[in-house]
Amino acid sequence: MSKVYRQFLPWLRLLTRRRRALMLGALLAGITFLSGVALLGLSGWFITASALTGIALALGLSVSLDVYVPGGGIRFFALSRTVSRYVERVYNHNSVLALLAELRFHVFGQLTRLDDLTLGRQRASDWLTRLTTDIDTLDNFYLRVLIPPLVALLGSAVIVAFIAIWLPGVALFLTVVLSLLWLVTTLGLAAWGWRQSYRHVANQEVLRHLVVDQVQGSAELTSYRSHHWHRRIVDSHEHKALHNQRLVGSRLALGNALVAAVTSLVALAVLWVAGEIFVQGLVAGPIVVMAVLMALGVNEAFSVLPNAFVRLGASFAAAERLNKLAQADAASMAAPAGSTLSDRGVSFEQVSLRYPDALDLALDDVTFHLPAGKRAVITGMSGAGKSTLASLLMGRLAATRGAVHVLGKVPTELSMTYRAEHMAMLTQQVDLFDDSLAENLRIADPSATDERLWQVLGDVALADWVQQLPKALDTPVGEKGQQLSGGQARRVALARLMLRDPDVVILDEPFASVDEVTARYVATSLDRWLAGRTVIYFVHQIDQPDLLPRIDYHWHLDAGKLSAMPIDGS
Amino acid sequence: MERAITEPMASTSEQNGLTPRRWLQSLASLERKRLRGAAFLGSLAGFQTVFIVTGLAWLIDQLVVHDRAPRDLSLVFILLAVAVVVRALCQWASERLSLDASLRIRRYARSQLLDKVTALGPVWLTTQQSGAIAAQAVEHIDALDGYFARFHPQMRITVWVPLVILAVVVSLDYLAAIFLLLAAPLIPLFMALVGMGAERMNRDQFAAVARLSAHFIDRVRGITTLQLFGHTVAAQEAVWQAADHYRRLSMRTLKLAFLSSAVLEFFSSVAIAVVAMYVGFGLLGYIEYGPAPSLTLFSGLAVLLLAPEFFQPLRTLSMHYHDRAAALGAAESIVNTLNQPPVMRTASPPATQDPEALVELEGVEVSYAARGVVLGSLDLILRHGDVVAVSGESGSGKSTLLALLAGFVGASQGECRHAATNQVAWLDQQPCLLQGSLADNLRLADPEATHEAMQSALTRAGLNEVLNALPQGLDTLLGERGVGLSGGQAQRLALARVYLSSAPLVLLDEPTARLDSATEKAVVEALLDWAREGRTLVVATHHPAVIAAASRHLRVVNGQLQEVLA
Repeated sequence: MSKVYRQFLPWLRLLTRRRRALMLGALLAGITFLSGVALLGLSGWFITASALTGIALALGLSVSLDVYVPGGGIRFFALSRTVSRYVERVYNHNSVLALLAELRFHVFGQLTRLDDLTLGRQRASDWLTRLTTDIDTLDNFYLRVLIPPLVALLGSAVIVAFIAIWLPGVALFLTVVLSLLWLVTTLGLAAWGWRQSYRHVANQEVLRHLVVDQVQGSAELTSYRSHHWHRRIVDSHEHKALHNQRLVGSRLALGNALVAAVTSLVALAVLWVAGEIFVQGLVAGPIVVMAVLMALGVNEAFSVLPNAFVRLGASFAAAERLNKLAQADAASMAAPAGSTLSDRGVSFEQVSLRYPDALDLALDDVTFHLPAGKRAVITGMSGAGKSTLASLLMGRLAATRGAVHVLGKVPTELSMTYRAEHMAMLTQQVDLFDDSLAENLRIADPSATDERLWQVLGDVALADWVQQLPKALDTPVGEKGQQLSGGQARRVALARLMLRDPDVVILDEPFASVDEVTARYVATSLDRWLAGRTVIYFVHQIDQPDLLPRIDYHWHLDAGKLSAMPIDGS
Repeated sequence: MERAITEPMASTSEQNGLTPRRWLQSLASLERKRLRGAAFLGSLAGFQTVFIVTGLAWLIDQLVVHDRAPRDLSLVFILLAVAVVVRALCQWASERLSLDASLRIRRYARSQLLDKVTALGPVWLTTQQSGAIAAQAVEHIDALDGYFARFHPQMRITVWVPLVILAVVVSLDYLAAIFLLLAAPLIPLFMALVGMGAERMNRDQFAAVARLSAHFIDRVRGITTLQLFGHTVAAQEAVWQAADHYRRLSMRTLKLAFLSSAVLEFFSSVAIAVVAMYVGFGLLGYIEYGPAPSLTLFSGLAVLLLAPEFFQPLRTLSMHYHDRAAALGAAESIVNTLNQPPVMRTASPPATQDPEALVELEGVEVSYAARGVVLGSLDLILRHGDVVAVSGESGSGKSTLLALLAGFVGASQGECRHAATNQVAWLDQQPCLLQGSLADNLRLADPEATHEAMQSALTRAGLNEVLNALPQGLDTLLGERGVGLSGGQAQRLALARVYLSSAPLVLLDEPTARLDSATEKAVVEALLDWAREGRTLVVATHHPAVIAAASRHLRVVNGQLQEVLA
């Protein structure tokens, strides 16, 4: 129980931070509920009072009934129910959307503090789907799990207190039954459906993985004729998953039936007890009818509870997973203290790195020294350890063994701002954002003037092309930069890099998919910009040595091992 | 295999005739009995509500007006209590039936989709994102739940229950019935209104949510770049801004959209108020025309309690309306896949004419809808034991030739004949790693393989040390939730698969590309090993050692085959 509370706590805090909004939202929902109950109860009272007065009048008794106050009340409640329902829906949806913004802000903040180990471990698209689903689950939490039980509890309390004015015994009975019903439909159903709804989330994920396997392994499965074998695995998992859903669904059905049965039986019971009291002449007829109809109206507040609570385990699973991000975030902040060097170049001293759960070392006893202001090229196939090496250099990963120094310091100990200021890297996969060209460039330097942007675009031979675009610098580049060709995207990324003034520069395949003539032009301006900086190029192999001028060192990486190579050409 | 062999085919929903609506209908007809049962039981529960409510009104009348004690009426109390329990049972059974129907339908729909994906084969799948297919098979299929479990049965309930209520009210007081009847022609109007409102709201909301999610995902995907440029704080701010902008925009739509349901709410409230006033004044004797003078507390209360029930089914339906929109949206994406024209070789191929031959291609052409003829016309005979190296520029058609031999694409022209033992082993640059144990990853090549056979295959592929290092041996989980293999180890695992399989024909697409030197050597040795075993090999490669070891060398130039003679 305390574990459950701990996992939910950070989110509950976030959700209830705007306490006034929550209270007002619940109040509006409560007014809607109570207006409905009051409308029914008052109508019942009025009809009964009218009937009794009518009979008395028919018998020639002189009685009178004020029809204006109850009539006005009925009209008022009919209107207030409609209006408050509308206002409540608008207000609460606004709150939920505001929360969504805050949830995303919060989660994104955690993500920005993650290191490459955690980021790299996630299968990109898969993880993103899960992340957004989890956030959505939590933002549903507000409207489904927080407000309705509050309304059911407080609303019922008001109704019971009102009935207690005339029928204290009936009110006591209602208190006991409704409290029990509330506990059963909230905590009871949550506990009953917990395991299954919790498991549901994991089940969906396994199913997704199995389908991804079927797609990615399609060539093997088709050629080896083992499709049926894999399908049987999918089917047996699906069978289990659907059985699990059936359990959750049937518990929900039972919960719904319970609410419907109990609220109606309660109304019958109230009629019986109040009827006995009426027979004794201790209460007026219209009050009896009002109490019965009000008890009947309680159903509206309770009927929404089972669906929210039987699935509480799933919300818990979502909160738990998002919390794991926060933990990884905290873990990646901690780094051991290391020595500093006077040299401001790059040095690796017997560095090894093993990814968690990997059998082999990704980097195996790597030692090299690149003095400040010199240039090196490191060649190697993909998977040889180049990106691992780059991550270590940029302080985005910590070495398992050995010492890494950049600018004389241990990179993992440098603050992110310092690293961003003094070190720059062109990643192998170019990240452009779904924004304008100018916005994408200004990520590197938010204060850059248009002239400056044109200048760097000129350096990468894109200025002419951008000039003839109708929106020029404001041209949107599309999601993942899809509006640009691969070569153009890479040059935009290079231009972005050149807006900065770092001491250490890492260039991962700087000319991939750039045609030869352009590459030569870009290499010249790149060379100019690189003057005086410490540079490491990462390439598969050196196809054109003239694109990488002034190389001082050449190392080769093969299966995590680094070896020195002769420098060809000049 | 080279990526992007075919461009995605144009949307073909019209060509094939399967539309989202028709598909949903055909799914519903599979579970017609359960869905009808659910609607029937749901309606039955509605009728019981009518009975309970009128019973309650009668009891109140007896108690309050006729001064009878509850004890004298215990039989009626019990009868009503039984009715309440029976109604709850009906509701429960209705929900269970529609739940079962929905589960069965989703199971069927998923298997239909996965069958189609299997049938479309690897070549088509290279043009797709595995995440998108997974979303179709998991999230989109599950989005059908609300439609079948809630909306579909509720549609029928909404027809029958108000009719019965109206009939009962007519028998109690026709003037009150006229109030409801006046509202009745408005019901279809409001249904349309709710429908239109909900439909527009859903469409707009889906689009806006998708845009917002895309923005968020876009920033998360590029988080490394944002970190490298120290731009994270500004980006975080932008995430909030985007979400807040979305809030302001969607509140405008929501304010309008909620109006349609507010109208329904209003009608149900006003019905209670009007009926209450009419009945009250009637009972007081203020109304002297029509049936008003004969109103009793019983008939008055019954009419009052029935009035909101008259609108209730419609309110429930409007609550479930978004289930329908969600299902239609999901169905659209799934139907698009279901409508794809076949890519794979369909029927089993004819047998070879020459007993020595493993595969005979005669005048074969392969063409893709978007690109026309990409390979051919080819004439080629592969004999048992041939070791064929295939070289050529990327995009020349090498991969298509391998795909043709494997049966991943069918010939658009000519004839492809295969020997009876038509099993193929496949190995490409990126061996697939299934989420499962090491043994599962080997069973992919031979589901019936014994542990001994697996161990021997791993040893021959040079993975013996790895196997010994694994905590649970063959049962160790690989991948995300288990042990991670390096690229070289994964390729050796693919070699072990070929060793494990007895397929006489081994197709290899650039098996040595992007490998470290040790693994590269292991692959070349394995190739020679299989050649010695007498297997037929077709290798798309540029590797000089492989080309030298081959007994035949083919070059593909612009989709044409040239035999290079040594």
